[in-house]
Amino acid sequence: MLTRSRTRGLLRQAGTIAVTLLGLLVLTFAIGRLMPADPVRAIVGEEATQDTYMQVYQELGLDRPLPMQFLMYLRDVLTGDFGTSIRTGQPVLNDILTVMPATLELATLAILIGATLGITLGVIAAVKKDRWQDQVIRVFSLMGHSMPIFWTGMIALLIFYAALGWVGGGGRMEDYFIGLVPEVTNFILIDAALAGEWEVFWSALNHLILPASLLGYSSSAYITRMTRSFMLDQINQEYITTARVKGLSVRQTIWRHAFLNIRVQLVTIVALAYGALLEGAVLIETVFSWPGFGQYLTSNLMIGDMNAVMTCVLLVGVIFIALNLLSDVLYRVFDPRTR
Amino acid sequence: MIMHACVRPLAAASLLALAAGPALAKTPDDQLVIGFSMTNILTLDPAAITGKETVQVLANVYDGLVQLDPVNRSEVQPDLAESWDVAEDGMSITFHLREAEFASGNPVRAEDVVWSFRRLMELNLAQASFLKTYGFTAEAAETAFTAPDDRTVVVTLPQKVNPQLIISTLGIVGPGSILDSKLVMENERDGDMGTAWLSQNSAGSAAFALQQWKSNNLVLLTRNDNFWGEEPAMRRIIWRHVPESQSQRLQLERQDLDIAFQLAPADLNALQNKDGIEIQTTPSAGFYYLAMSMADERFQNPKVREAMRYLIDYKGLNDAILPFFGKMHQRPISGGFFGLLDDPGYTFDPERAKQLLAEGGFPNGMDVTLRALSDDPFLNLATALQGSLAQGGVRAEVITGSGDQIYGAMRERNFEMIVGRGGGGQLPDPDSNMRALIYNPDNSDEARLTNFQGWRTSFMDEELNNLIDAGASEADLETRRQIYADIQNRIDEVVPPLIPFSEVVTSAAYRADLEGFVVNPSWSTDLSTVTKNR
Repeated sequence: MLTRSRTRGLLRQAGTIAVTLLGLLVLTFAIGRLMPADPVRAIVGEEATQDTYMQVYQELGLDRPLPMQFLMYLRDVLTGDFGTSIRTGQPVLNDILTVMPATLELATLAILIGATLGITLGVIAAVKKDRWQDQVIRVFSLMGHSMPIFWTGMIALLIFYAALGWVGGGGRMEDYFIGLVPEVTNFILIDAALAGEWEVFWSALNHLILPASLLGYSSSAYITRMTRSFMLDQINQEYITTARVKGLSVRQTIWRHAFLNIRVQLVTIVALAYGALLEGAVLIETVFSWPGFGQYLTSNLMIGDMNAVMTCVLLVGVIFIALNLLSDVLYRVFDPRTR
Repeated sequence: MIMHACVRPLAAASLLALAAGPALAKTPDDQLVIGFSMTNILTLDPAAITGKETVQVLANVYDGLVQLDPVNRSEVQPDLAESWDVAEDGMSITFHLREAEFASGNPVRAEDVVWSFRRLMELNLAQASFLKTYGFTAEAAETAFTAPDDRTVVVTLPQKVNPQLIISTLGIVGPGSILDSKLVMENERDGDMGTAWLSQNSAGSAAFALQQWKSNNLVLLTRNDNFWGEEPAMRRIIWRHVPESQSQRLQLERQDLDIAFQLAPADLNALQNKDGIEIQTTPSAGFYYLAMSMADERFQNPKVREAMRYLIDYKGLNDAILPFFGKMHQRPISGGFFGLLDDPGYTFDPERAKQLLAEGGFPNGMDVTLRALSDDPFLNLATALQGSLAQGGVRAEVITGSGDQIYGAMRERNFEMIVGRGGGGQLPDPDSNMRALIYNPDNSDEARLTNFQGWRTSFMDEELNNLIDAGASEADLETRRQIYADIQNRIDEVVPPLIPFSEVVTSAAYRADLEGFVVNPSWSTDLSTVTKNR
């Protein structure tokens, strides 16, 4: 039941979210306008005459004062109109619906790989603290954290694609499959499965596995380190010793007792890592010619396509807020003390 | 035990990887897969496009009345017009159309041709500037382009211009592209003459039609079954956005790409001696140049400008930095163009430069800023130029930045020196280079003739302006040749503040089993003739 203080709490939270998003928009708009990018020049090209330039300048509404431009944008957003992208000529929402599934597909598989690998290695490292297993894992995860992802991307392509031929190169599938599967969800794995085109499905998986593994590896580095330190905290506590004294096996002690107690912290770590993958896969998207959200955002930023950029930033903001809320909820589920 | 529990998920992950199995290689025989960068593609409406990449794509979607010859740059070939005649007074050109259909099945009528040109002028977007240069306007488009009957188009020139210039201009993809007016107008929105629709769809009559364009992802062309010419061997052309040069190279080596259009020199070098891969390097449009601003008093002195001419290490830059980017060239007229004289043979000569600077009142040299884009090859060029300028006592501070910071400053006439690229040449006539680089009819700040590098560098020479105008309007070939010789000699003498040192080239790497692939210097490479010999 909603008590008055609980309602007030919810309202306050909603207010904070709105102010955060508005702040984000103001900041993005300011950065976009201060940046040395000229959308008009991008449209008319280097050789255009001044009258063509001015014509497009006015069409884009850039002759109006900046605060006015911002308020008009805000008004449109509130009515659900996110504007048209300069780069594609399409409504920004349509664009995002096209590029987002590519990134979601990549980020979801990546986080599955990253979380599985990271949590497992983290637990092993904690249990085998300071023994060779721990050292190996620490070096392994340090490498994942410190090697630039575009470099690992190129090297991995060189080995697994060019030399061994195990996986596909760039893009989401073999080029000659393009256009074979009707685009229903824009998730190629799902669309291919729906259409029963299994060859396309395997081709898509084949192209997905390498970039997803690399992203997974890179985010597993952080997850491993955090898991290890959470786990060490637990292992040193008295209830673990008690459990061992009671005669429980190492495995039972670790997984049934210690691990259950760090679930809550892990959820937050994994959720944040997932959020970072959604917006931060730009470099891997470039190396693998992956037509995703990161590439969409940066290429539009470069030409000052502000409708597209602002909507993207808004979306990233919403994703992070949603992930935070989700981990709040999961806290309540996993930790009886918060109920 | 713990190890045992942990191994399972890892094993599952590796199984997933293995399940994906070995990748299929080799593109199918009837599909052409091309890797390039789509970053500059903002629309596929021929009236609004800018840059090389869109021309490469649309050359295979839209026909013109004529097309530019890929080998002999001064010639045009018939396209939708089977033939044409020029009026005795040289003030109008009559084109006779062939029987043809658009991809939609609509017939190609003279009305469509006229409509396409009027639309171009009325929209006044990027591609209109080609015709605006020769006096065509939106207001006069009704009288300039007419269709006396279904198969005849008459283009009336608004001012005295060599008609060959207009014919060549109409061979350029963009200003010359002919659209299916019926189809476009069916898809018009809010009086936009189909601009929004054409950014995603096509209405042409060439060998292929646009099936899909996904920004920064792919352009998919399918064979046009109504094409009037010979049926192309390829059923589909897939243009893939592969922005990373090394990825392009790997995919070409693995035969996942047939052609790679945007490889960095390092990768082209590596591919040079690779079996199964060929490289074509063709002159393209524009030059690499060192420019000065005559808004800066020091550069108003011709001795100072001439000194700069001898502080460029022409050979060094072309041999060390520009392979696959450019080819040594010192005249401001593109290679293969009508009237081009041999290179004057300037060399790097710091002693002579020092002497000229001293004569110009700068015995102790000078401090300048040198702007350059932060990308390849500009940054390397700027660094090398900094070194060679220093040997003549010109101490350059290099400023790098994005296109808007570098060329933007040039458009605002707010710079000292710049190393840049540009200079016309898409229209295969010396007039195009001269307008882009030298011509400047009004040197006032208010004129804002930003499309002329002459204006940007604050250079204006009445005699050159007159010669350029005379060259554009002269019909007699020999007289015209003499005019361009005079222009080049005058340029030697007055030293305009923009000094070309290399001509831009296009390099494409492709699988050796492709036949009939010839890169067009005006970017409009025809892919309908390409076959795979496997």
